[in-house]
Amino acid sequence: MAIHQSCDGIARRDFLRCGALGFGALGGPGLSLASYLRLNAAGQVHEATAKQGIFIHLQGGPSHLDTFDMKPDAPTEYRGTFNPIETAVPGMQITEHLPKIAQCADKLVLLRGVTHTLGAHRLGSEYVNTGTRPLPSLEYPGFGSVVAKETAPWNAGDLPAFVSIPQNGHQKPGFLGIQYAALSTGGAPKAGTPFRVRGVNLAGGLTIQEVEKRQNLRNDLDIAFQSIQQEDPLLAGLDRFSQQAHAIITSRRSRDAFDISQESPHFTKPFGESAFGLSCLLATRLVASGVRFVSMQMGGWDTHQNNFSRLKDDKLPTLDEGLAALLIGLEQKGLLESTAVYVTGEFGRTPKINSKSSEGGRDHYPRCMFMLLAGGGMRGGQVIGQSDDKATLPAHEDQGLSPDDVAATFYHALGIDHAKEYHTTTGRPVMIVREGKVIPAVFA
Amino acid sequence: MVRTPAFQAAFFSLVMITDMGFADRDPLERIDQRFTPSATSEKPSFQRHVVPLLGRLGCNGRACHGSFQGRGGFRLSLFGYDFAEDHAALIAQDHGRINRENTADSLILTKPTNADRHEGGLRFPKNGWEYRVLYQWISQGAHRVAPPQKLIQLKIAPAEISFRSADETTNLQVTAHWEDGTQEDVTPLCRFKSNDEQICQVDREGCVTAGSSGDTHVVVSYDKLVVPVPVLRPVTDLVESRYPQIETPTRIDQLVAAKLRKLGIVPSAQAGDAEFLRRLRLDMTGSLPSVPEIEAFLANPDPHKRSHKIETLLKSPEHAAWWTTKLCDFTGNNDQQLNNSSPIGNRASRDWYEWILKRVTDNVPYDQLVEGIATATSRSPGQSYTEYCEQMSKIYREGKSYSETTGLAYYWARQDFRELEARAIGFAYCFMGIRIQCAQCHKHPFDKWTKDDFHQFKNFFARVNYARNGSSPQSKDEYRQLLATLGMEGKKGAQLRKALPKMLQEGKTIPFPEAFVTKRPIRQKKNNDDNYPVFEHAKLLGGDIVEIENGSDPRITVMNWLRAPENPFFARAFVNRVWASYFHRGIVEPADDLSLANPPVNESLLDYLAKGFIDSNFDMQWIHRTITNSATYQRSWIPNKTNQSDRKNFSHTIPRRLPAEVAYDAVLLATAADAEMESLHQDLTGRAITIPGTGQRDRQPGSPTYALRVFGRSTRDTNCDCDRSSDPSLLQTVFLQNDRDLLNLIDVRSGSWLNEIALEINPERAAQGKQSPKKINRLRKQIGKTRKELKTLKQQTESAEEIGRVEKRLQNLQHQLTALSPSQSSKQKINLATEQLRKLIRTAYLRTVSRPPAETEIVRAERHLLESADTLDGIRDLMWALINTKEFIVNH
Repeated sequence: MAIHQSCDGIARRDFLRCGALGFGALGGPGLSLASYLRLNAAGQVHEATAKQGIFIHLQGGPSHLDTFDMKPDAPTEYRGTFNPIETAVPGMQITEHLPKIAQCADKLVLLRGVTHTLGAHRLGSEYVNTGTRPLPSLEYPGFGSVVAKETAPWNAGDLPAFVSIPQNGHQKPGFLGIQYAALSTGGAPKAGTPFRVRGVNLAGGLTIQEVEKRQNLRNDLDIAFQSIQQEDPLLAGLDRFSQQAHAIITSRRSRDAFDISQESPHFTKPFGESAFGLSCLLATRLVASGVRFVSMQMGGWDTHQNNFSRLKDDKLPTLDEGLAALLIGLEQKGLLESTAVYVTGEFGRTPKINSKSSEGGRDHYPRCMFMLLAGGGMRGGQVIGQSDDKATLPAHEDQGLSPDDVAATFYHALGIDHAKEYHTTTGRPVMIVREGKVIPAVFA
Repeated sequence: MVRTPAFQAAFFSLVMITDMGFADRDPLERIDQRFTPSATSEKPSFQRHVVPLLGRLGCNGRACHGSFQGRGGFRLSLFGYDFAEDHAALIAQDHGRINRENTADSLILTKPTNADRHEGGLRFPKNGWEYRVLYQWISQGAHRVAPPQKLIQLKIAPAEISFRSADETTNLQVTAHWEDGTQEDVTPLCRFKSNDEQICQVDREGCVTAGSSGDTHVVVSYDKLVVPVPVLRPVTDLVESRYPQIETPTRIDQLVAAKLRKLGIVPSAQAGDAEFLRRLRLDMTGSLPSVPEIEAFLANPDPHKRSHKIETLLKSPEHAAWWTTKLCDFTGNNDQQLNNSSPIGNRASRDWYEWILKRVTDNVPYDQLVEGIATATSRSPGQSYTEYCEQMSKIYREGKSYSETTGLAYYWARQDFRELEARAIGFAYCFMGIRIQCAQCHKHPFDKWTKDDFHQFKNFFARVNYARNGSSPQSKDEYRQLLATLGMEGKKGAQLRKALPKMLQEGKTIPFPEAFVTKRPIRQKKNNDDNYPVFEHAKLLGGDIVEIENGSDPRITVMNWLRAPENPFFARAFVNRVWASYFHRGIVEPADDLSLANPPVNESLLDYLAKGFIDSNFDMQWIHRTITNSATYQRSWIPNKTNQSDRKNFSHTIPRRLPAEVAYDAVLLATAADAEMESLHQDLTGRAITIPGTGQRDRQPGSPTYALRVFGRSTRDTNCDCDRSSDPSLLQTVFLQNDRDLLNLIDVRSGSWLNEIALEINPERAAQGKQSPKKINRLRKQIGKTRKELKTLKQQTESAEEIGRVEKRLQNLQHQLTALSPSQSSKQKINLATEQLRKLIRTAYLRTVSRPPAETEIVRAERHLLESADTLDGIRDLMWALINTKEFIVNH
């Protein structure tokens, strides 16, 4: 166990030990109730089964009323033009424009009445990507970087721990440092064209033999620091990363992991041809290859104007196809139980429809939103939380879920203690998710 | 009006005397010896005894009652010093810890002795001295003294510890000196911490035990003060008289050697000329030396050539650009935070860069540079809003530089600078090199700052505002008038942002946002989770209280305080940051953390540099010159037996990864054709050290944004020098080995060295023409646009003629692009003779690792070239291999 020196000079290892020994021991001053309660709580909450994770950020903030939290009985100016349909789970209704997701609703934990207060894209995004309200003086790490750190040292050699498709978005390494940043694919796969990942695929015309030859030359010439390179942390690190980069570039396994054309047409077809669908296909394949964490973004949810046609004609069919195929695909490969999936926007949208465009739109609304969890030992086919009759707030005051809670739950599914502390470069102790509590019902 | 806190303290010292019973010259003996079982009638002081005792017992630690949620319904202020809050918590009716009727039943006595259930377990035995102190305090009324008394000094004996062997021990004795003249041995009430437990450990009683050799500090905390005690154990027996004679040509070297002499560490020899030149170039100018420059320097017999080189480089545009980039880091030039702070998109970031660049180029004294930022307003004195807008419109329209304006008003325009707390934190980070954010919510654990200090300091920044959409309230009429003239009456936000740039180009005067001094303090958001008091005055950190009168700009007071010679932060913060960019660490490390618990590794060295900097009238070039002329800077990285494990006393050079911009530019310079060099070194065209902002959004192919992010360019996000990263990472090595941009830079392309060779030996493989990559980019953009146009057209019309015309245009553009790109299809292979090969190999070495190759290296490279199908392929491989050596990507 690593020693975390806390700012009042107590090694964290000490107070975990005190906690485990029980009360009454004259330990360090840090005997912690929190760790005790956590251990206790862990008994009530099922053990984590996920080894891998997928996070999908629906950028822009999808309308909750028109998707997963419909209010067919609300007044017209709230309810919108879509109708709810039944899903594979009796009593769980979602929008008619997500028929495929409805069919696999048994795999979904649908969280309603999630609430926070940050109505700007950047702040909201940072919040849901980290599980902690953003601070001006500190950048918190995203889920993927925390997983990468917890997995370190990463010994898969020829595969990166954390991949983002197509960009890092708000999944940043924050104070953990750039060594835990995602390898970003730089683009989404396109139908019918071979997918090339920046830095991973060999440049035009180069063969493995040529790369090996070049590498041998480098190894022979890179001798200036031979006398000190074992002891110097920078030089040793450069060598280690250099070997790993070479392995990623030259190994068949890593190239195969990114090559979605190797999937059978039968498996590929449900993912469709959209950039999002094919990104989901790629995520499935990366997880199957052993990548620990994949983050994706799907943009375009910022529907201030023409909310309904944009959702109906574009966003919802794309999400429907991709997400349903992802869940079914993971299940087919036997990976759903070991892969925790988390899908969310940065906020919901105003329950009352605005009149900025002919058919109306909805604006930013963080006080009430939906989130989705799936796989990773979480019990699908249930709705947790509830919003009021116009989806403006959680139905019961003080019972709304927070992004912190959902993040804590996601980490729990991934087998990571969300209350674990890291130390920033300024020596400040920071919990992975400070305010959140694991939602036991998710695992019940 | 300035009011010192002295009179307050003088007043309360009276209270103190009655409280303690005496104000003797002799220090009071230790509290654990005063509160013996044979009883004493002494009345313990809440500030001097009770709160420190709770701190030492760990009660107010963050895992216990110091947690913001409290524990067991009882909360103390984290790390103490909030006496009112702590006192209230202890005596509270419901969850208080005090029983006035029956002192022995007080929870603060029963819980820590485990007589009552206590999650924190046993903290002290019943009837121990701690028990009696608390018992007596309660039984005598559980009073406190308000406001706090002033602790003048903590005297620690010994003041410095020198160990000879492992497991040796020394006891620290701590005496508190209060402003009222009383003294007390407070050793049993202090908290002790070792800054490096490998070197020494310290227990609760202040007993220090030696560990491995080296040096560190034990930090002692009591009341408000934090005092570091140096602890040192020599690495070898070559100490004092046995220490060898070493050259110490400069004051820096003497001061560094004074420390090394105590440690028995002998510094490394001087670095060779090639190593020195590369290091100096990278550090001072962010650039690799050019091949002719290296050849000339190596051949120059002048014994003073190093100093001359330093002088030349200090005047170079590269030095100015690189140091402007560094100053943009410290001051936080972040284009995302500046969004919409100028009517012309992204111009704010460039203006910021150019404003600083001009001053670095002119070597304006550092205090004047800072003054222009710290006290900036958009308008010059007496200028009307309309005149200001006319001036700015002219500057922007005519493409003139913003740098002529007196103040860098954009500093106050950052979106993350809206709240007073953020301004105070950012200002202290930027110009004082300290981290006061801890004290926003609790007593600073590593420094003397209290919550009051923080919240009184922030008030200096309550009289400045940035009107992002419009003018200051006083000039609203002028603003409206300007809009009316433009026919934009009543228009706002996005509409204005769209229309105004066009109007500017049409020659009209458009309204500009402005930073201005407000009449009243700016409105503050309610902060729900904090209950700090609202102060009517402001207080300099560790200094005077200042009344803020209506209408004056209190920032000027701060500025005058900063530049005063006795200011403990201003000069030290800057010289330490400069030092940190010439070495692998600052004299204080992290370089932006000048806190009491994080003392300099060489106090006299930092003092000397700070004083010299002030005496030079804040001449920035003085500090660069002084550091780089020292033997300490010019040492080799090759260690000897005595200094191989030294990483903090500057006894040898420690390899550092190149900073992001420098790494990118190094690849650019190493691979550029000789003909391109001039513009890369002189006009700095395309250089990463000229990028003003943090530019996250730029995703153009060939743009350096990706590489810069991967190599950890400063994000300028969180008021921390650690926003810039020099850690190695997987993505960096993937980039260097296989990224398309990197491979393209090395390869045959117009403007590359490989192309230059191709033109000479194998013209068929050379890139056609001499077009710059800019043209290729422009073509690519045009092609993209035309494609889109075609797509839209196909949806709108069925006219084959119209479509055909656009299709033809697209084809034409594509042909042009192909013609510019290097030809891949050439079959002709050409191999050169040995003599020519050796020359190319030598050049490749000079270009990348800035030194001539050794014979063994030539032989190895030559073998590779001979095995390659074509010399060009071989040289490309060699360049790739050299760029991928550690020697290339580190400064050494």
